[in-house]
Amino acid sequence: MSVPALEVRGLVKHYPGVKALDGVDLVVQQNEVLGLAGENGAGKSTLLKALVGLVAPDAGSIYVRGEPVRLRSVVDAANHGIGMVFQEQSLVPNLTAAENIVLGSEGPAVRRGVYRWEVMRRLAQEQLDKIGSPIDPLARTDSLSFADRQMVEIAKVLRIEERTQHPPVVILDEPTSVLESKEIDTLFAQIRRLREFATVIFVSHRLDEVLDVCDRVSVLRGGQSVGEVATAGAVPRELHRMMIGSTGSDDHYHENAAATVGSEQPRLSVRGLSGTTFQDISFDVAPGEIVSIVGVHGSGREDVCRALFGAEPTTAGEIRMDGKKIDLPSTRAACAAGIGYVPAERKLEGMVGAMSVAENMTLAKQQARCAGPFVAPKKQATLVDSWIRRLSIRTPGRDTAIQRLSGGNQQKVVLARWLVAGDIRLLLLDHPTRGLDIGARSEVYRLMRELAATGVATVLLADSLEEAIGMADRILVMNDGRVATEVACPNGAKPSPLDLVKEMV
Amino acid sequence: MSTAVALKPTQRLTGFMPLIALAALVAALTIADPDFLTQRSLIAVARTAAPLIVLAAGATLVVLCGGIDLSIAALASLSTVFLALWLPDLGGLATPAVILVAATIGAVQGVAHVLLRIPSFIVTLGGMSILSAVALVVSGAGTVRVVDDSTVRWLDLYLAGYVPMSAAMAIIVVALIAVVLKVTPLRSWISATGYSESAARLAGTPVDLVKIGAFCVSGACAGLAAVMLVSRQFSGGPTMADNLLLPAVAAIVVGGTAITGGHGSVWRSLAGALVVTLLRVGLPIVGVPSAYEQILYGAIIVVAVALTLDRSKVSTVK
Repeated sequence: MSVPALEVRGLVKHYPGVKALDGVDLVVQQNEVLGLAGENGAGKSTLLKALVGLVAPDAGSIYVRGEPVRLRSVVDAANHGIGMVFQEQSLVPNLTAAENIVLGSEGPAVRRGVYRWEVMRRLAQEQLDKIGSPIDPLARTDSLSFADRQMVEIAKVLRIEERTQHPPVVILDEPTSVLESKEIDTLFAQIRRLREFATVIFVSHRLDEVLDVCDRVSVLRGGQSVGEVATAGAVPRELHRMMIGSTGSDDHYHENAAATVGSEQPRLSVRGLSGTTFQDISFDVAPGEIVSIVGVHGSGREDVCRALFGAEPTTAGEIRMDGKKIDLPSTRAACAAGIGYVPAERKLEGMVGAMSVAENMTLAKQQARCAGPFVAPKKQATLVDSWIRRLSIRTPGRDTAIQRLSGGNQQKVVLARWLVAGDIRLLLLDHPTRGLDIGARSEVYRLMRELAATGVATVLLADSLEEAIGMADRILVMNDGRVATEVACPNGAKPSPLDLVKEMV
Repeated sequence: MSTAVALKPTQRLTGFMPLIALAALVAALTIADPDFLTQRSLIAVARTAAPLIVLAAGATLVVLCGGIDLSIAALASLSTVFLALWLPDLGGLATPAVILVAATIGAVQGVAHVLLRIPSFIVTLGGMSILSAVALVVSGAGTVRVVDDSTVRWLDLYLAGYVPMSAAMAIIVVALIAVVLKVTPLRSWISATGYSESAARLAGTPVDLVKIGAFCVSGACAGLAAVMLVSRQFSGGPTMADNLLLPAVAAIVVGGTAITGGHGSVWRSLAGALVVTLLRVGLPIVGVPSAYEQILYGAIIVVAVALTLDRSKVSTVK
C-alpha cells in the first residue's frame, strides 16, 4: 500500500480543565474519504484544528505523506496540501464567488495591487470545473444558495493544489448541517468526484450520511481513538455504540414517553397571523402537545416562530394563550406571557458566549435568582446547581463561561433558561438539535417529552423530517408562507417523509 | 489538571492589570522625580481627576452596552453654562436641576439611538455638535462668571483637611454604580447586551431600556462633572469640558473595558482615569518637555491598553 496521505500519532492537547485530545491516532490513506465520528466534546474539532495549524498540539506528531510536519498556521497547512471547509461558512458575502475563491492567495489575479478580473475569473473557473460546479464565478456570494456557497468553499480550498505536487487533503467539517436534502445529494456527488484526485476527511453528526459517503470511519471518544469501521455493510447503531461506548436506545425519540395531549382549551391559538414572509397562519397547540412545522428554506416557518416570540412584526391576525388574547410587541412581552424561544443559531443568538453558565441560565427569568430587585447569590447557586444536576449538564462549574462547554451542554443551558422560573407555558424550538451529536440529541428529545408531560405546549422546527415525525403529535406543512396542510402524527400511525415532501414543494 | 493550575494566576492577574499599571506609573514618576510623591501633587492629581472619573464612569456603561457616547464632554460644557446661569435664581436647586437636564439629554440621545436605529457613534457625534452649539448660543459665546458660589463651593473643599471633596464624590459615584450593577440583574443585562445584542433580546432582556438607561446615567454623570468644574473655576464656559472627551475615552480603554462591549467595569475606568490624569499632571511635574509629553502620553496609553485588555474575554479586538 502507498504511504498514507496523512497520519496522526498520539496527539495530545490540553485546555484549562479539559483534555481535548488524549493521544489520538489517525491514518488517512490517499484518495479515500475518511469519516470522523464522535459525540460533541470527543475532540473532533480540536483534531481538525490541529490538522490545519489552528491549534498547536502539546504532544504527538503529524505526518504528511510520511514526513513529520509541524503546522503553525492555515497557510502552513495549505503549503502541505491540507485545507479545511469550515463549519461556519467563511466566505465574504458581498464579494463575487471568484474573489472569494482567490482571496488570500490571489497570485496572478492581482498585478501591482490591482485586480485582473479576467485572470481571476479564469482561476476561479478552473477550480469550479474541478468539482464540476455550474456556478458563475462572477455571481455575488450572497446571491448563491447555501449549497452553492459550500461548493465555492470547496473550490476555494482546492486551490491548495497549486502549492503542492501531491493530491490535496480536504477537510469538510459538518458541511451538511445547514443543507436541505437535495443539496446534500449534490454535495455527496461532489465528494465522490473529489476522491478521484484528493483525500477527504468528512465530519458529520448524521451517522447515516457518514456511512453513506465515506469509505471508512474513525471514531473518537473522550479525546481518544476508539476504533475504525469499514462502512460497507455497517449500520448507524453500531457506530453510535462505539461513539457513546454503550448500546444506544432503540427509542431514539422517546416515543413511549409521549405526553397525553390535553383536549380542553388550546394552550396556543393562532388565527390569521400575517407578516412579511407569511400569510394567514392559523393553528392550535394543546397543552402537552408537540406541533412541528415543516417546510423548505423560505417557507416562512422560522419567521412564524419568531413572530410568536415578538421578535418579528406581524401585520394581521391574533394570538391567544389559554384563551386570552395577547399582544407581543417585544420579546420581553412574550417572556412575560410564559413563552420561551430557543433560536437556531445557538452561538450567535442562543447564548452569550463570554458569560457564565449561571448568567446564561438566568438571563430570561431574573426573578428566579432575585429576592426583590436584588440578585441573591445563594438562591442563584442553589437554583443553577439544581438545574445542572437535573439536566446533567457537564460543566466545571456554574461560573464557567458557557462557550467552554460542548454544544449539547450549551443547548441544555439555553433550554434551562426557560425552565428555571417554572412559568413556561409554550416553548418555541427552532432547530434545537442543530449541530448536536446523537447522544445530546436524545437528551434534548427526552427533555422535550418531560416538559410536554408537565403540560408545556411545544412548537418545533425540526432539523430533519425524521425528527419532526418522530417527535411531533401533529405536523403543519408550510409552503410559500402559508399552511399547506396539517397532518396528524400519533404514535403508531406516523406519516412517511414522502407524504410530507409532496406538500412541501 | 496541571495546565489549569498554571493558567489561573495569569488570568487573575489580568483583572488587576489596571491597578498594576497605575502603581507602575506612580513608581516611574517617583523615580524620575523623588519629589513627585508629595501631598501637594497628589491632591492636584485627585482634584484634576475627579471630573474625568465621573465622566468616564458614566460613559463606561454605554461602552459596556456595546455603544459609545461621544457627547459627554460637550454635554458637560453645556451643563457648566446652565449651572452658572441658573445659580443666581435657583441657588442650591441649580445642581440637581443641571444633573436632571443632563440626564434627560443623555436619555434623549439613547432614545434616538434605539428607536431610530442609528449607531450610537453617529447619534452622539451629532449630539456633541448640537450641544456645543447650544452652549455657545446660551452663553453668548463667552464665560459665564459665578458671583455667588456658596452652593457649589462644598465640592471644592477638603474632607479631613486633605481629601478633595470632589474626588471623594467621584469615588462615591463609581462605587454606587458598581454596587447597583453588582447586586441587581442589571450587570447581566448590560453585559449580555454588549456581548451579543441579539442573544440578549431573544432571552427577553429589555435591551432598549438598558441602553437608554446607560445613556441617561452617562448624561447625569456629565452633569455632575460640570458641577465639579464650576465649583473649581467659579464660572461656566461653552468649551470648558471639551478637552475631556479623549481623556475619558482613553480612561475607559486604559482600564481594560472592551470598546466592543460586554467586558469591563467602572472600577477599571476609575483606575484608567487616574492613569490618564497622572500622565497629564505628572509628566510636567517631573520635568518632561512639553513636546515629548504628548509622545510619552500616546505611547503609554497604547502600552497600557496592551497590558489591561483581557483578551480571553474579548474574542475580536477591533
